[in-house]
Amino acid sequence: MHLLRLELYKIVPYRTFWAILGIFMLLVFLIFYSVHDITINNTKLGSANYQFPEIWLKLTYVSSFFNTLLGILVIVLVSDEFTFRTFRQQLIDGLSRLELVLAKFYVILGLAAICTVFLLLLGLFFGLRHSLDTSMGAIAKHADALFYYFLQAVGFMSLAMLIGFFIKKSGLAIIAFISFVLVLEPIIRSQIPDRIDKFFPTKVLHSLTPMPVQQLFDQATSPTELLTPGWAVLPALLYIGLFLAGSYLLLKLRDM
Amino acid sequence: MAIVLDINGLSKRYGNIQALDALTLQVEEGSIYGLLGPNGSGKTTTLGMVLDVIRPGGGSFSWFGSSVSKTTKQRIGALLETPNFYPYLTAKRNLQMVAHIKGADSASINRVLDLVGLGTRSNTPFKSFSLGMKQRLAIGAAMLNDPEVLVLDEPTNGLDPQGIAEVRDLILRIAAQGKTIILASHLLDEVEKVCTHMAVLRSGKLMANGSVGDMLAAQEQLFICAAALEPVLALLERLPYVAQFRPEKEGVLLTLSEGYTSQDINRDMFAQDIVLSQLIVRRKSLEAQFMEIIKN
Repeated sequence: MHLLRLELYKIVPYRTFWAILGIFMLLVFLIFYSVHDITINNTKLGSANYQFPEIWLKLTYVSSFFNTLLGILVIVLVSDEFTFRTFRQQLIDGLSRLELVLAKFYVILGLAAICTVFLLLLGLFFGLRHSLDTSMGAIAKHADALFYYFLQAVGFMSLAMLIGFFIKKSGLAIIAFISFVLVLEPIIRSQIPDRIDKFFPTKVLHSLTPMPVQQLFDQATSPTELLTPGWAVLPALLYIGLFLAGSYLLLKLRDM
Repeated sequence: MAIVLDINGLSKRYGNIQALDALTLQVEEGSIYGLLGPNGSGKTTTLGMVLDVIRPGGGSFSWFGSSVSKTTKQRIGALLETPNFYPYLTAKRNLQMVAHIKGADSASINRVLDLVGLGTRSNTPFKSFSLGMKQRLAIGAAMLNDPEVLVLDEPTNGLDPQGIAEVRDLILRIAAQGKTIILASHLLDEVEKVCTHMAVLRSGKLMANGSVGDMLAAQEQLFICAAALEPVLALLERLPYVAQFRPEKEGVLLTLSEGYTSQDINRDMFAQDIVLSQLIVRRKSLEAQFMEIIKN
C-alpha cells in the first residue's frame, strides 16, 4: 500500500497517463460498438456479437489487440523516472531497488484491474441491451475470460516494464517493445515447430484470449497450435515472474 | 567525535578511466566536509557510491558504523548532481512524495518550504521554477525528516551570484543547527567560505585532506629589500622566528613562524642598522595553494 500510494501521487495529476488510458478505453469501446454493423454472407451479424455468454470471449479477444497501448503506457511511466532521474532520487531517499520494481508492478496490477472492470461494464452494457438470454447463468458462463484477459494485460505490461528498465528512453523502448511483440518473436516462431513455439512469451499471452471463431479461421488458413487459456495460465505466470526478476536484476547490476 | 561516514579504499572504474582510486577518508560528526576538485575528479562518483546509486568497483564504506540501508538513508538528506523532481507536479506535491518515502510528517513540508524561501511558491509546478529555485527545493527536500547528515553535490552549480549567496547562506544556517554537511564543489572559494574540513581530489586520487584551517593556513610571505643584501641574509640566519628564506633577484623572500609579523622583522633589522628599502607582505593566494596541491 505504501508503494501504491507513492505511485498514485505521481499518476493522478499526470495528464499523459489519463490520455493514454482514455484512448485505450475509447478505442475498445468504438471497435466493440462498430461490430454490430458487420455483415457476413448477407446476414447482418448485428446483435449476434452481443449475446451472452460468447460476448466475453469476443470482448476480451478484441481488447487484447490494445494491450500494446497499455504496454506503451507502462514504458512511458518507467522511462519518465529515468528521464526525471527520480528513480535515482528515490533510491537516495530510502527506497530499495526491489521496491522500485514492485511499485511499478503494483501500477501494472492496478491498470489491468481497471481495464478488466471496464470490459466487465462494457460487456454488461452491450449484453444486457442486446442479448436474448440475460439469465445469470448465461452472463456468468464465459466470464472467466475476464480473468484470462487480466492475466494477459499484466503479462504484456510486465514485458513492457522490463523493456522500459532495459532501454530507459521512451521512444526507443516503445519501438523495441512493438517490434518484439509484432515482428521479432513472430519471425523467430515461424522458424520453430508449433509444439515448441506455443510456449513463447507473446504467444502464451495471446492464447489466454483466443479468437472466438478459431475453428472457422483454421479452415481457411493453416491451423496454428495454441495452448488453451487454462493451460496458458501457468506459463504466463512464469513469464511475469521472469520479467519482474529481469527488471530487478537490471537495476541491481547497473549504476543509476 | 563520532565518525559519520567512513570510506575505505573506495574505487570505481569506467572502461579504462579510473574515476576513483582507493579513496580513504572519514567525516566526523558536526563537521562541514568539503570534497574539492576540478570537474571529473571523482567527487560525484564518490557521493554516488556512498548514496547507493553507483555500484562501488572496490573498497567499502559505512554510515554511522553500519552498511547502507533504509535506516541509514533516513538519517541522510542528499542532493546528487541535479534537483530530481517530477516536472508536472507542484513543489508541494513533489515534497509530499519525498516525505512519504522518508516517513516524514506532512507538517514538515511547509516548514522546509519556508526554510528554503519557497513558501509562497508551493503550488507552482516544478518545471516553471528557475534553476535557483529548483536547487533550493532540492535542498528543502533533503531537509525533510530533519536528517543528521546533509550531502550536497555542487549545490551552487549554475546559479547566479544572488542564488549562490542564498544557497551558501542556507548551508551555513543548516550547519548552525549542528548538522554534518558533506559538500562537493569545484570552487575553492566556496569550500573555504563554508567548510571546516576538506579533501582535495584530482583524477580520482586523494591529494590532500584535513581541516581547512590547517590546509589553507594563510601563510604570509614577506619580501624585503635593502641596499646591501649580505648583512640582511646574515641576520636572517640568526633570527629564530624566521621559518625560511630565499634570496631572489632584488631582495629576499621569507616566511615567519606563527605569531610574528612584518613589524618584528622591521624592528630587528633597524636595530642592527639595516634600513630596508622595501617591505612587502604577500599573502599566498588560496588559488595558488590549491593549484599547488592538485599539481603535485
